[in-house]
Amino acid sequence: MTKLREIKERGYIPPKTMRNLLIAGSLAIGKVFITNISDIRKLTKNSQNFKPQYVRPPRRYELPKYREGMKYCDSDEKYLRPTLYCNPRAPEVIALANELGAFKKSDREFAEAAFEFCKRKLTLEMLPLDSVENTLRRGTGTCLHEISVFVALCRAAGIKARYKLYSLTVIEAWEDTLVVDPLIKKWSDAMGYFMLHGEGEAYVDGKWVVCDVGPTPERQAASGIPITRFGEDSIGVWTSAIPGTIMRLESLPYGLNAMMKLVYKIAPATVDKVNVSILNMIEKGKKILEDKGEENYDREIRKTYKPKFPETMLKKRQEIVFE
Amino acid sequence: MDDFDIYMDKFNEKARKYIPPKEKWTPVEEALYKPKDLYRVPLDEAKKLQLDAIKYSFKYHYENNQFYHNFCKEHGITPDDIKTNEDLKKIPLIPDKFFKEYPSGRDFATWLGNIYTGKLPKIVIKQKNPSYDDVIDAFNEAGIIVTYSSGTGGRHTFIPRDKRTFSTTEYTAAKSLLTMMYPLWEYDAHAYLMMPDPRVNFIYAGKALDIAYDLVKNVNAAITQRVTTKLISMAMGGGGGLKGKIVRYAFYRESKKTIDRIVDWLKQREKAGDKIFLIGAPYLIHFVIEQLKKEGTRLDFGENGGVGTGGGWKIHEHQRLPVSEFRKEVEEYLGIPSKYCLDIYAMVEGNGWMVHCPEGHYLHVPYTYYKAMVLNENFEPVDYGETGRFAFLDAAAFSYPGFIITGDQVKLLERCPVCDRPGPVLEPEIKRAKGEDVRGCAEEVRRMLTTDLGR
Repeated sequence: MTKLREIKERGYIPPKTMRNLLIAGSLAIGKVFITNISDIRKLTKNSQNFKPQYVRPPRRYELPKYREGMKYCDSDEKYLRPTLYCNPRAPEVIALANELGAFKKSDREFAEAAFEFCKRKLTLEMLPLDSVENTLRRGTGTCLHEISVFVALCRAAGIKARYKLYSLTVIEAWEDTLVVDPLIKKWSDAMGYFMLHGEGEAYVDGKWVVCDVGPTPERQAASGIPITRFGEDSIGVWTSAIPGTIMRLESLPYGLNAMMKLVYKIAPATVDKVNVSILNMIEKGKKILEDKGEENYDREIRKTYKPKFPETMLKKRQEIVFE
Repeated sequence: MDDFDIYMDKFNEKARKYIPPKEKWTPVEEALYKPKDLYRVPLDEAKKLQLDAIKYSFKYHYENNQFYHNFCKEHGITPDDIKTNEDLKKIPLIPDKFFKEYPSGRDFATWLGNIYTGKLPKIVIKQKNPSYDDVIDAFNEAGIIVTYSSGTGGRHTFIPRDKRTFSTTEYTAAKSLLTMMYPLWEYDAHAYLMMPDPRVNFIYAGKALDIAYDLVKNVNAAITQRVTTKLISMAMGGGGGLKGKIVRYAFYRESKKTIDRIVDWLKQREKAGDKIFLIGAPYLIHFVIEQLKKEGTRLDFGENGGVGTGGGWKIHEHQRLPVSEFRKEVEEYLGIPSKYCLDIYAMVEGNGWMVHCPEGHYLHVPYTYYKAMVLNENFEPVDYGETGRFAFLDAAAFSYPGFIITGDQVKLLERCPVCDRPGPVLEPEIKRAKGEDVRGCAEEVRRMLTTDLGR
């Protein structure tokens, strides 16, 4: 059983910002449920006879075999130790980290290899949170699953890694892919933004480097946006963070999974629709990249996709007094 | 009939509290207040006014606004780089969506403080977790007017304006419209503002027309209550549960009554031979006309009436009213000639008012203090005659950097194909650029009052 001290130290208790987000998210979905009771009843009823349309795509990689004696980092230091859903000492993680060049490559080279693996090989699928081992066996997961794999790989290789999470609004093409069902639409309308997204961050050469492992190149091509690189933030490319919500955490906190599980249980057809829509998006993007070539596509789109945004500041102003 | 100079002198006299004392004028005020007709300044003179005003404004924001200073540094541009009118194109432009990316609670107040250029007055936020309206009220108490507008995505655009900027936008709104309506305006007239009452509201749909109460003796407003951000989201968004439904029903009932009130008012004014102005959301005027049609009533104000519209041309969710058709129905049912039926194009992020000329109904740009530009898909300025995304450099924004890229698609012409005014014009049809939200303050009012009044 997880010790109380571990819960506190590793940040399993949601920080204030996360608590506020969880409360806002729960209230919003609660409101949607209460004000749409008859629709929700129908959804629950339908879920019993529901035939899924989504077929999980095959894993994009062979999982390397774990062998006794494979090297890994067993430090208990912050950002290197195991945390919730993210065990860097799982055999699958150690085997993959070794295959990607752990302890042979420089930290930067390894973090980049882990980034490329997670970004290109893991496919987005909406499903409740589970362990990194499961994600690696499946080859699919939400952005939080994917970040966890990235964080676990880095930690296994002795590179400090953490989560960067925030609430966001997304570009229209992504909204069209995710908001494919009235329930999701009502939820996102009730909140005014999407509750949570994130990136991984690896501590390389004395600084934290952001890694947008969530979207595969195909999905970015389908949306007409650049393919984010190692060190490039999704904020300003395809997301806008709601200011004040950015959190940098050692662990995913408790409570995140409850909401996903609830939606999954009550409205599996909704989740199914989103997952089908994601696969369609991937197919669309694949064609674009085959036609243009990834490098050409990325070079061209970077010239035109959007104007540069100033950085939003929340610097304290002396003249504003909070009583 | 007064000659134009006397007409404008009378206007300036009524609007004098909006004009700062001459000894305090900067190049921006020179460009705003010196020309009697903002749309007839000879090009050479205007070029100099424009360069001086925008250069001054750019330097001011560069030196007094941290986020904009950082943004300019990223672009490698400093005030020393701006020497000629051509150099103005180098000024870094802020996408309008930037003003939609704000946090909530106390952080919202801090965010507004960071958007603001220069020193703020003391602002006291009393609430522990203030709503947007609480923060707006606190800023207002300190003399900063935070106006807002909203896209269909439900995110507002918030712009903090100090008194100087707000007076400027009010003055230029009135001056721009009344210049084009010459010689119609006189103080002893009646006006109906087809919008939320600007005296109690901060929604940009009409806030700048607060000045109407100083320029016209008798003024009525269509929506008299305070329209808060909370009320907007309930009225527009379809959320808010039972309370939201009540709000939407109340707005719907109120809008029906409003139409009846305006029709009665129009009949009384015509009977009394009064001079009238209808200013605001075209869809409301359209439904007033629909009501007159139903009754089989035709009014005849002739050259005693003026209509100023703004904010977009949707009348139903999927139906747009063509501007020329609107002018025809105004002429037919109100008897107001098309030369006095003018549309205004503006946005919450700017203080420039593009107004139809009476001769050709092209949208004229106030080019002494405001540089209109069209950007291609690479966000680079293109030549006159090309269609693209509208952007502008607005020297009249003192309290925030008014160098903005909008989500509107326009065509900018070097001069009007119909009238003899020398400055640039926009073609009358403005659309949203691909991938942008539908917006426009009239659209907000339409969605708030909901509702398919005419159906």
